[in-house]
Amino acid sequence: MELQLLSSMRHLNLSILAALALTLVACEKEITVDLPETEPRVVVEGVIETGAPPVVILTRTQAYFAPTSLASIAASFISEATVTVFDGSTTHVLDRVCSSAIPEELLEEAAAATGIDVNLLANANICIWTKLDMSLLGEAGRSYRLEVQADNKNLRATTTIPNAVPLDSLWFRLAQQQPGDDSLGFIWARLSDPDTIGNHYRWLAQRTNAGPDGVAKDANFVAPFFSVFEDRYTNGLTFDFNFNRGARPFSNAEDDENEERGYFKRGDTVIVKLVSLDRASFKFYESFQSNVASAGDVFSNPANVISNVEGGLGVWSGWGSSLRTVICQP
Amino acid sequence: MRTLLSAIVGLFFVLPCITSELHAQGSQRYSISGYVKDASSGEALIGASVFIKETMRGTATNVYGYYVINVEPGAQTLAMSFIGYEDFLMPIDVTKDLKVNINAVPKAIQGKVVEVVGTRTGENTEDTRMGTTELDAQKLSTLPALLGEVDILKTIQFLPGVASNGEGNSGFYVRGGGPDQNLILLDDATVYNASHLFGFFSVFNADAVKNIELIKGGMPANYGGRISSVLDINMRDGNNKSFHGQGGIGLISSRLTLEGPIVKDRSSFIVSGRRTYIDVVTKPFINPESAFSGSGYYFYDLNAKANYQLSDKDRVFVSGYFGRDVFDFSGSNEGDPRFRIPWGNATVAARWNHVFGPKLFMNTTATFSDYSFAFQADQDQFEFELFSGIKDYGLKVDLSHYPNARHRLKYGGQYIYHIYTTSTVRVSSGDTDFNIDTPPKLHAHETALYVMDDFDVTDELRINAGVRLSTFAHVGPFTLYDLDENGRATGTTDFTSGEPISSYAALEPRISLRYRLGPNGSVKASYNRGQQYVHLASFGSTPLPTDVWIPSSSNVRPQIGTQYAAGYFRDLFDGVFETSVEGYYKTFDNLIEYAEGASPQNNGNTNYDAQLVFGEGYSYGAEFFVKKRTGKVNGWLGYTWSKTMRQFPDINEGREFPSRWDRRNDLSFVLAYEPNKRWSYGATFIYATGQAVTLPVNRYFFEGRVVSEYTERNGYRMVPYHRLDLAATLHNRTLRTVSDPITGEETEITKRWHSSWTFAVYNAYNRANPYFIYFDASGNPGNNSFQVVAKQVSLFSILPSVTWNFNF
Repeated sequence: MELQLLSSMRHLNLSILAALALTLVACEKEITVDLPETEPRVVVEGVIETGAPPVVILTRTQAYFAPTSLASIAASFISEATVTVFDGSTTHVLDRVCSSAIPEELLEEAAAATGIDVNLLANANICIWTKLDMSLLGEAGRSYRLEVQADNKNLRATTTIPNAVPLDSLWFRLAQQQPGDDSLGFIWARLSDPDTIGNHYRWLAQRTNAGPDGVAKDANFVAPFFSVFEDRYTNGLTFDFNFNRGARPFSNAEDDENEERGYFKRGDTVIVKLVSLDRASFKFYESFQSNVASAGDVFSNPANVISNVEGGLGVWSGWGSSLRTVICQP
Repeated sequence: MRTLLSAIVGLFFVLPCITSELHAQGSQRYSISGYVKDASSGEALIGASVFIKETMRGTATNVYGYYVINVEPGAQTLAMSFIGYEDFLMPIDVTKDLKVNINAVPKAIQGKVVEVVGTRTGENTEDTRMGTTELDAQKLSTLPALLGEVDILKTIQFLPGVASNGEGNSGFYVRGGGPDQNLILLDDATVYNASHLFGFFSVFNADAVKNIELIKGGMPANYGGRISSVLDINMRDGNNKSFHGQGGIGLISSRLTLEGPIVKDRSSFIVSGRRTYIDVVTKPFINPESAFSGSGYYFYDLNAKANYQLSDKDRVFVSGYFGRDVFDFSGSNEGDPRFRIPWGNATVAARWNHVFGPKLFMNTTATFSDYSFAFQADQDQFEFELFSGIKDYGLKVDLSHYPNARHRLKYGGQYIYHIYTTSTVRVSSGDTDFNIDTPPKLHAHETALYVMDDFDVTDELRINAGVRLSTFAHVGPFTLYDLDENGRATGTTDFTSGEPISSYAALEPRISLRYRLGPNGSVKASYNRGQQYVHLASFGSTPLPTDVWIPSSSNVRPQIGTQYAAGYFRDLFDGVFETSVEGYYKTFDNLIEYAEGASPQNNGNTNYDAQLVFGEGYSYGAEFFVKKRTGKVNGWLGYTWSKTMRQFPDINEGREFPSRWDRRNDLSFVLAYEPNKRWSYGATFIYATGQAVTLPVNRYFFEGRVVSEYTERNGYRMVPYHRLDLAATLHNRTLRTVSDPITGEETEITKRWHSSWTFAVYNAYNRANPYFIYFDASGNPGNNSFQVVAKQVSLFSILPSVTWNFNF
């Protein structure tokens, strides 16, 4: 949480001002804004993780006030593209897998695996690119060059998978932020950062124990809103930190709407994935968090996400992952 | 340091020699000099006009009330006139140099002709100064003010060429210049952050302020260190005849000022305090269960000044200001984060006036300024602290020299020792302190030498020419980081104490001239170039106390401002109306901004200037101004057309973009009306082109979240801003009737206690002015509930206030 404290400090500071201003505020009204039209750009959401094939999703930007119907959102997903990955010796042409080809009973699983809403998958032909025959799996220390041809554009990006850094230990501690509560808390971790500067991390967690409906509480790893940090101030140190529980965007799961929102609960079994990132990927996720968080925050200077994709937006990121499990008992 | 001192000393000795030679060549003339003071309080009068009635030649008193005029020998009449005071006339026979102190008698306290702005007759067209306005702080209280808080800086925003930073904000921008480019002086000490409550109120308590002068163009050589404007504020000296007090109770704050003699006629003091009580007032209305229950905010100001007249020739002043804002935030539960954000200014000035002879006046000032900011947060076992600040120790010597009737010389020198804390972060988790180096404080020497001559070439042409030599040196101790391409430190270079790291020097030419066209009109033109060695870097889009003052360095070059201005000035109807039209063109070099995506938490373990980008800008505009100076109805109308642009290679892909304070059209109207002794009314109106803001043009989804894509910096305009404020002040009766117990005769005597009620309405026609616009994306794209809307937030709707003021 101190890492969140650090990265969200600016926003907190400014939201205090906003809160203060709003105590005096008179009114808020909806207005129409005329924005210039610009050509859509291609956005890459691509990851290659140790021991797994690459997964690439391609979308395009839409005008801010473009229609927001399911059909319009679905149309922002690109289904025609050529995607290749060069691993230093071989160029692999990735296979396209589209939701129209997925049997209905597997849609939920596909949604969990890709993070794309199940309704979108069911109602539109949404495609991802991967290597179905597993002939390309991420290896630590290796660089991968992604090339994409889509919408008459050529995009290029290179990423390296850093060595994974394991967590020393994990434990659960009650948050005691709600009166009378003795079951909700955060996951704490101890990390020994390697001695060389330039380690960048992303934190994700998954609850594997069953919820009230009998299925696992999380179908996949979920990143909290502020999920990345670096060793700028912690190089070579062994230190403790914590994270709250992230929710999927637009989640309407019960535990994302009731008092459990943001907390892990006594009895949860949680797998934490600590991802090592290269600097370009880190800068992307950091600026992505900041961009999303500052939407509507007038006091911050608007800043675009820092992409590592030439000719487009988004990220092509190598993940060096290490896993560790904890059972939530204070 | 030694070379500087010898240069200053040299300058003082050389110049009087040159000028006394000039004097010897002229015809035999004598000087009349002295002070002009208020007869009832002993307060020095600034800008009072002193002249010879027969020739109408004369001068205005300086900020200490001192004047010198050179006259032919013989019998003549010395005259003094100043708005709000009875005219003074005195026959004199000049056979030698004379010393005449004038005690100006105020016109009856009530029922006098009210002026919003007082300047002497003819100054508009007579002086070489352009773009200069003086305000009398004591006269602002009849104008409407937000929540009844009389605010000097907000009144200044009604002048042409001065833009505000948005609704309710006291930040001001002069002719396209940034907020850091205004030199704000309180009794000659620099004030770095002039606002409270995130900009809603200025730090200047009008009760303690005598006089305000704003210079937005043609800056004379005796001012330097900032490139856009000078706001010179003088505190009142205090009444040296009898004890008085004044104060007020308003909606959000209360004020009290006490003043009186220490030694009658020779020495006086004034102490003035103000504290807000928003925290006290709002507490009962905040639910103890709510997230804000542990929050509180207040600010306070304290001004104090004392002076002592040692002799006819010597007078000393000591003045100080201390103000603090404190904001606390803590949630209602144990595990919630807590924040504490204190910030504030302190200034101290000690001044010594010395009259060497009738023609040479000296003021020596030692100053201290301090601005500090801290942000402290903790939660669980984590603690986080961020500080920044600036401390100045200054010494300044200014001489005014009046060698003969045609020349008015000023020369002097200034030295400031700066200590900057650019931004220091400390983080700890339990017992583990994160390894963040404590950045060393930065030490710098700033010096200046100047000379200027206000010179009557002919009766029509007057030239004010000056030059200022400024230097700046950043010296050790200091640790410079060697950075890799990712901005991370790979090693350090250490500088020992006093070792020079980077230094700059510049010759800053200043010239302005006035050419008289008939008795009531003149044209003026000016050129000036200035260099500024301090920069304000802002992480946000609005000035905040988190903004960090940064000195020039080998990486950050000094800001350079160049301004050309020309104008036509005319008095109408015997000086009842003053009018002017001014045009200006201004360029800015070496401006700084934080790079896109820069953030305070990345300021540790690197050079303080590592996250900055550099660029330039320009501004041009035309300003129209009509002022009615006297009468029961008075006030002014100002209109400005201007354009202000910025260009940074690393912002907006290198394309030129409008500055945040680019206002194409700006109209302001200030009106005061005093129909009788009991009531006075004030009204202000402002219209300004909508603020330039950056809005996202496109959006896309990444990991299911909505990401904004920005294209043009400040590419969108909010709707225009306009607002009318009204105020009415009811004075209690100032006279009471007493009847003589013996004769039964009734006479009226003036009461010692005066009080008044000011009723004001802010935003009288309830305009929903935009404060900001934001885009809100909500709902789930998967179930057709996704929605995107643009929302405009307005801050203050119609807002009435009442303030009770008193004085005795």
